[in-house]
Amino acid sequence: MSTQVHANLTDEQVRQISGNLDEPEWLLETRLEALEALSELDMPDVIRTPGRDWTNLHELDFESLVDPLNAAENKDQVGPDEVDVLPWSEAVQEHEELLREHFGSVVDPQENYLTALSTALFSTGTVVYVPEGVEAEDVTIRTEQNSRSLFNYTLVVTEESSSVTILERQSTGSAEPRSANGRAAESGDAERADEQYYSGIVEVVAGENSNVQYGSLQNLSEEAYNFSLKRGSAGTYATIDWIEVNLGTQLTKSGVSTTLEGDSSETQIVGAFYGHEDQHFDLDAKVWHRAEHTTADLVTRGVTDDVARSVYEGVQDVGRDAWDTSSYQRENTLMLSDESEADASPKLIINNHDTEASHSATVGQIDREDLLYMTSRGISPRAARNMLVEGFFVPVLEEIAVDELREDLESLVATRLRQRA
Amino acid sequence: MARLELRDLHAEVSEGDEKILEGVDLEVESGEIHALMGPNGSGKSTTAKVIAGHPAYEVTGGEVLLHLEDDEFGDEIEIDEDQRTWNILDLEPNERAALGIFLGFQYPAEIEGVTMTNFLRTALNAKIEEREELFEEEGSEDDAEDDGFETSPMEGPADDGEVGVAEFQEILQEKMEQLDMDEAFARRYLNAGFSGGEKKQNEVLQAAILEPSIAVLDEIDSGLDIDRLQDVSNGINALRDEQGTGILQITHYQRILDYVEPDRVHVMLDGQIAKSGGPELAEELEDKGYDWVREEVYGTA
Ligand SMILES: Nc1ncnc2c1ncn2[C@@H]1O[C@H](COP(=O)(O)OP(=O)(O)O)[C@@H](O)[C@H]1O
Ligand SMILES: [Mg+2]
Repeated sequence: MSTQVHANLTDEQVRQISGNLDEPEWLLETRLEALEALSELDMPDVIRTPGRDWTNLHELDFESLVDPLNAAENKDQVGPDEVDVLPWSEAVQEHEELLREHFGSVVDPQENYLTALSTALFSTGTVVYVPEGVEAEDVTIRTEQNSRSLFNYTLVVTEESSSVTILERQSTGSAEPRSANGRAAESGDAERADEQYYSGIVEVVAGENSNVQYGSLQNLSEEAYNFSLKRGSAGTYATIDWIEVNLGTQLTKSGVSTTLEGDSSETQIVGAFYGHEDQHFDLDAKVWHRAEHTTADLVTRGVTDDVARSVYEGVQDVGRDAWDTSSYQRENTLMLSDESEADASPKLIINNHDTEASHSATVGQIDREDLLYMTSRGISPRAARNMLVEGFFVPVLEEIAVDELREDLESLVATRLRQRA
Repeated sequence: MARLELRDLHAEVSEGDEKILEGVDLEVESGEIHALMGPNGSGKSTTAKVIAGHPAYEVTGGEVLLHLEDDEFGDEIEIDEDQRTWNILDLEPNERAALGIFLGFQYPAEIEGVTMTNFLRTALNAKIEEREELFEEEGSEDDAEDDGFETSPMEGPADDGEVGVAEFQEILQEKMEQLDMDEAFARRYLNAGFSGGEKKQNEVLQAAILEPSIAVLDEIDSGLDIDRLQDVSNGINALRDEQGTGILQITHYQRILDYVEPDRVHVMLDGQIAKSGGPELAEELEDKGYDWVREEVYGTA
């Protein structure tokens, strides 16, 4: 089944984006191939539960959302001197060989329609390169989207025995998003004029015995659509820890995953989300155990309020050769309103019996007994509920080793609770 | 002085129509200790939860009145003539708490992510604030509903409230010492992973800090070893002796009554107070069992 063909996307546009970035021929080719593949590719798999498709990506009006030549953003890409934290155009000049080796090696550009679209059209990105033995904290990537669409790409490569902590944030600028030649205005589609589309692909290649901690705080405007795919490949004795926080957008389709390729590699995926009003989150966390003595720990907690919906899928896939695997997964969703909806399915696929694994998921509401306990001591129902929600996030907060991200999440949750009637 | 008065109280389960309380009459006054005894299922916990305002129960008859004297809350709160008697069934649970009602739960909730210190200081300040609102002069109810937001689950409220962090730490430390509790408790999450005995001790600690006028303590003695039973009993006696708290002690063992001597003993059977008496009634019950009361009152066993 083919999805939707982009009548208004052309080779010429892709050549222009690539040319502006001064990219080598092979990259342009990769982009053009991705563009051409669009007509044959499907939308990414969305999470389904019996009798229900939660997320309908086909409904998105990409024709009006995607405006490839008018990307605008406000960006910080900073880090300590010992690591390279480079804007894409600089990385193309300074690290062409590195890019040729790793670009598209973890996430296949033609994995689905949206990865291909992102590959063809990305105009901004960051490359983080950590040389052997270097230990770096405080790499910060901040993206403020100021255009109707923005396609972003991030590559992290860590050499042997190095370590890096990266904190990425996405937000939407307060300025009116620009539209190509006033097209949105012309079409008279006033309602859609404020909607944006953000697409981000992150590839992490963790070399032997290296350690990557990648925190992401997605706080885009609640008019925005977001497709985000983060995937890491962990080498021998390497560790990849993801922290995935989703607060913004009207619709987010996010995937975070690690392939444990090397013996004794490890990963942790910590997730937190808080949906309110009519926000919709489609979130997955996946780990593929593909070597011996590997460990994975997946922990996600989220809240849905008003008429928000969340659907979570966690997959632990233990391959046939993955001897001595440890794999744990827990997901808990708290629904603050009767009208919000949530579904969570943890999946465990075991093809090697030498595995210690657990998986659990719960969806619930605030416990009446807990609430009475607190109010009977004098706390107002509203304050008690807020304390319970903040407390609900604590097990996840405790797993977030990046102080700044933890503090931001805490205060954003408090702010959202304060907005509530 | 304060007096809690249950008058012909009838209650049933909200969802369904199972009658549980069938006309309970009971009075507890400041400085008094009352024991409420009775077999399992007789309605003791329901009585306690109805007093606290538990939403699982619907009151179908009778009333629960709280009578206050003008000096109940000290000099700072002036209690007008027309504010001396409250029908607490009309009030929210937190308003009842602000008026000095405390319920020590038979099964205290375990609340992850909220530290004891944060919880108790928030409760203490909320209670003070709510009390001011309840006794406020008419017409000055402006900034009522903006409480409880400047909090962080790990650090506690950012804005100080009436009782600041440092002052609260002192109060907490003192009360914990009195109850022989390890100070590490203060940093733990509320009842999360506490043993049965620790939870009960924690209930008494909370009463000591919130200084209620009337405390209903539901099976505070169950699951306690002898050392902790003594600590908890000392705590209850101190509440009465130092704060003048009136205590309704729910139990089905004679044991705690050796340490906390009741002024009155009431026996509940099938949702009613079947018999009341002095401390000797508890001893008699120990010897003869509840069937003796049943026989004496209803003529059947
Ligand atoms: N929430 C409830 N739903 C249904 N039945 C209840 C509920 N609470 C109490 N009951 C019933 O009411 C009766 C009295 O219970 P309770 O007050 O807990 O007794 P006690 O504390 O004296 O042991 C019991 O038969 C109990 O099963
Ligand atoms: Mg009971």
